[in-house]
Amino acid sequence: MTSEAVNKKPKVKAIKKQKPKKFKFSPGWVFVYIIMLGLVCFTALPLIYLICTAFKPLDELFAYPPQFFVRKPTLKNFTDLLTTVSGSSIPFTRYIFNSLFTTVFTVAGTVVVSSLGAYGLVIHNPPGSKAIFAVVVAALMFSAQVTSIPTYMVINNLGLIDTYWALIVPKLAVAYNFFLMKQFMESFPRDILEAARIDGANEWTTFAKIVMPNMKPAWATLVVFSFISNWNDYMGPLIYTTSQVMKTLPIALNTIAGGAGTIARTGAMGAASLLTTMPTIIVFTAMKAKVMETMTHSGIKA
Amino acid sequence: MRKYLDNMTMEQRRNLEGYGFISPWIFGTLFLFLIPLVQSIRLSFSEITQLSGYQMAWVGFENYRKLFLEDVNFIDYMTRAIQNTLINTPIIIIFSLVIAIMVNQKIKCRAFFRSAFFLPVLLGTGYVMDQLLGRGVAEEAVSAAQQVISPDGPLSYLGADLVMMLNQFLARITEIFWKSGVQILLFLSGLQSISPALYESAKCDGATSWEMFWKITLPLISPVILLNFIYTMIDSFTDSANPIVAYILEQSKSQQFEYGAAIGWIYFIFVFVFVMIVFGIINRFTVNLAEK
Repeated sequence: MTSEAVNKKPKVKAIKKQKPKKFKFSPGWVFVYIIMLGLVCFTALPLIYLICTAFKPLDELFAYPPQFFVRKPTLKNFTDLLTTVSGSSIPFTRYIFNSLFTTVFTVAGTVVVSSLGAYGLVIHNPPGSKAIFAVVVAALMFSAQVTSIPTYMVINNLGLIDTYWALIVPKLAVAYNFFLMKQFMESFPRDILEAARIDGANEWTTFAKIVMPNMKPAWATLVVFSFISNWNDYMGPLIYTTSQVMKTLPIALNTIAGGAGTIARTGAMGAASLLTTMPTIIVFTAMKAKVMETMTHSGIKA
Repeated sequence: MRKYLDNMTMEQRRNLEGYGFISPWIFGTLFLFLIPLVQSIRLSFSEITQLSGYQMAWVGFENYRKLFLEDVNFIDYMTRAIQNTLINTPIIIIFSLVIAIMVNQKIKCRAFFRSAFFLPVLLGTGYVMDQLLGRGVAEEAVSAAQQVISPDGPLSYLGADLVMMLNQFLARITEIFWKSGVQILLFLSGLQSISPALYESAKCDGATSWEMFWKITLPLISPVILLNFIYTMIDSFTDSANPIVAYILEQSKSQQFEYGAAIGWIYFIFVFVFVMIVFGIINRFTVNLAEK
């Protein structure tokens, strides 16, 4: 026992001695850190501005020259936002609910549809899959604005205008999401699938029990991207819904920003912007570990 | 039906299962992308006679003739869109590659830096961001940075033109910072897939880190560079801040749907050809790992 411990000791020491070498602070590294911190300040500026504006009292909002940081933070903007809107027509919480409801279902739906499609296309590779992928790539380059009117007609013919369906269905089969899942699926190890098949799993079990859990980093990435774009979508609710009760947060923001008494609502606008931005940051933070996992555990875990 | 299923070969079964898995996506694309797409082609060759019933009359190339021969805005917006993409894309690629390499080093607070550089993506695509940019955050951020880099005093000696150029330059840099989050992420995953053994053996052979960058990192990451080029260009071309896309939107707001469709199609064909050409050029320099 004792001899072993003696033998081990030098090894540990050697490792410990080696480690600090990697983190040596040479002037070059200090320089890199300074550059990086500077860049981080730049990228973080909009968020800091957003937070500051939401808590600024009225006199600071209109101060000249404009103040970047808040001096005397106040919650008045938030109470303004939540009380006055509910007093006039539709409570702000209704927009929050609409946004949450449609976004959650859209994201869940698009993950399922895209992964199913990518799985069928890559693993089964039926005839015509090249043509399907060509359509996907072409669709990537097409700006949605061009087809928005004919799409409206389709939705209208289906009788879905001004329902939650109209906000969810058009955004399920999105080319970009399919493309992303297809790229990840390409690198999926086929050996696992073979093993599952030999063990007697049918196609559906293979997909649900083997592919999806192993593709977690891929669809976590998709969840983040899809959540961001759907949560912030402005054109969809603008075109497909008509009544104010069905509108989502981005539309509400626009109403607050451009409505009557714009100056008085600047503070409420800042608060609303912050409230609208928070969920995307929360989703990213929640998914971040999994998104980054893509990079650490690629391929088969032994 | 049952009998037919039993008589199928293994391959036929696999194909059928494959179609089964893709079918939800195909349905969605067919009804909400392909049919509207065909409709918009028809729309671009027609004139809407009655909006309520969506009735159209065939007018041939009238919309396209108007686009090229009468519209004064179109060519101008088009050149601006191309200019923006041409200038921004290479800068975004280089910037994000540099950041990705830095973040990929064994530095402290790696996770923090990674998240921080991705942050603008969370804000940047949103309507909130458009609102913020509209209210001049970009300029405020720029002026805040300016005061740190170069105080007002010396600037006043430089003359108005130079100051304006400097401001435009800084504004563009800001725009680029806020648009390279996804590219940084893609580069990072590319960098992580390079085997560390390669660097170690290069080090044993006495290569400097500069040589290792040009001889190992760059060739091995070239497929990701290609992907990023395509992504950045498409992102820039379909961005709603793009003058042409904004112009199309303007058309549908003023209920000139058929004209908007015509612009959209010309623009799409142009983007498609442009991206294909760039793809062809960069693909020549890309190292294909499968060939080796």
